Amino acid sequence: MQRAILLAGGVAAALAIFFILSLYVIPQSFQQDAMPSMPEALVSKVTLSSRQITLGEPVSISVTGTNAGDEADMQIVSIGFPNLANGSDIEVVRHDFRQSPLLVERGDPVSGNYSGTASVLAQYPSIEVFSRPWEQGSTYTIDLQVRPEAEGDFVVYVKSVAFPHTWDGAHYPREGLVDYQQEFVESYSIEVTKS
Amino acid sequence: MDYFRQGSASLAYGSHRIFLVGSILVSSGILLAAGGGSWDITNHLLNKPETFFAPPHLILYSGVGTSVVGAVMLLTSSRSIGRIAWPAKLALAGVALLVSAGPVDFAWHSAFGLDGLFSPPHFVLVSGMVATSLGGLTSMMYYRSMSLRGAERMRLHPALIVIAILPLWLALSGVVDMFTLPFSKTVYFNFDPNPAAAVAIASTAFPFVIAACLCGASALSGRRFGVMSLTGAAFVATGALTSILPSDSLHSTIPFYLLGMIPIVAADAVMSYRFWRPFGIPVYAAGAILGVTFFMLYYPLITHTYNEFIDINRLVWPSVTAEIYFEMMQTVYPLLIAPSAALGAVGAIAANKLGSERKIL
Repeated sequence: MQRAILLAGGVAAALAIFFILSLYVIPQSFQQDAMPSMPEALVSKVTLSSRQITLGEPVSISVTGTNAGDEADMQIVSIGFPNLANGSDIEVVRHDFRQSPLLVERGDPVSGNYSGTASVLAQYPSIEVFSRPWEQGSTYTIDLQVRPEAEGDFVVYVKSVAFPHTWDGAHYPREGLVDYQQEFVESYSIEVTKS
Repeated sequence: MDYFRQGSASLAYGSHRIFLVGSILVSSGILLAAGGGSWDITNHLLNKPETFFAPPHLILYSGVGTSVVGAVMLLTSSRSIGRIAWPAKLALAGVALLVSAGPVDFAWHSAFGLDGLFSPPHFVLVSGMVATSLGGLTSMMYYRSMSLRGAERMRLHPALIVIAILPLWLALSGVVDMFTLPFSKTVYFNFDPNPAAAVAIASTAFPFVIAACLCGASALSGRRFGVMSLTGAAFVATGALTSILPSDSLHSTIPFYLLGMIPIVAADAVMSYRFWRPFGIPVYAAGAILGVTFFMLYYPLITHTYNEFIDINRLVWPSVTAEIYFEMMQTVYPLLIAPSAALGAVGAIAANKLGSERKIL
């Protein structure tokens, strides 16, 4: 009987310690000590093969993204083409990202407001390429070739977003033009003339 | 006259050994396969691999290969008595499912690229794991029953108990994961579970599975202290190796994860003390204690299941998993303690009943 009481007491004490540690002490100390990860997304280089082309001619675009902050669980580089009707005129020549590029077509569900969850429909084609994870200080480059469909200004939007999106530095650019995803973009244009 | 036959369930002496080695290989293979599967889920979360030839798949399918070898040994050793014992048949059926899942999985990857957790080939694979691990466990018990008499017939060596129970536990957990984790939406299919149903299944099935497996391990050892703890420690080690260690941001939470051993050892002590009256008390108590550990033992993946129900728009990125989990520890887990204790008790009772000789062999 005495052994049973001792055992019951020991088990009760062990469970009390377990619950105090796991329900209160460890969660509290973790939340106090936890430093949020702060990745810093940058588009460090954008190169266009030409600022003026004739209709039917392709333009080469090279975009380099960098993470200047903490390691990102995922960082995306997005290159949008508001003047294209569909993605058939876009060709990925090469890239060194960890994952394969995705072609987003008009009407595809995409994320908005730096949330990472699909909430809006794409209004124009774009190439989204990402690395998961994207290490601190790492740089990845993608080279594309695009053939504009009409003469006039051919616009290219470039941006980069890092996740978790914990601060304003997790997206690039931090100000300027806003696209349909309610996210800032850097705009480049190429003049397309009649052949 | 055949001097090596001991009644209808006996094997020739050499075949006897082969049967045991086959059983061990069948179970060890599933242990590898399930561990590889768990690592694969983590790898998908961290690295989003795009090819079938990823290291976790290599471990998974080498585990399948090991089980195939074990099943062949069970088959050949059974043939010496002219009939195949039903545990061996179960293992063979499970292995057949595993083997058929491989090429289908490869074809599925080729056709649809990155797949989700729940896909037809994955379901066949996990079903095969459950059947094969159950076949391995019952084969070991069958082997034991051939040479011993009385209560000893149902007892296994502690190391064999761990090798037999752990793969079954991991495979059953894999089935629950498949129906609860929100990782099954792809470009082509959306097999994600309903968030409320996923929470209900996880809160019900995990406590039941933990208690059933650990109380089953204890029963197989004749309620010897240490065997339940050893099996629990093996599960915790597998979880730490496959779900926590691959993710740098979770390393600081390993001490927390190891805390899950406290209730397991406590339940083991309760279960192995032989003088409780009435006799059912230790089973209910141990089951209840084990049931409440489910929220810790299935960390970190369980965070995704509950987050989907609480805030579907919040993404559980690897680096914020611990933060979200510890928030849930204080808000969600207290509500789950009573039901998980009750379901743990039910799991322990079920294992105790199934563990009796009459019901199994």
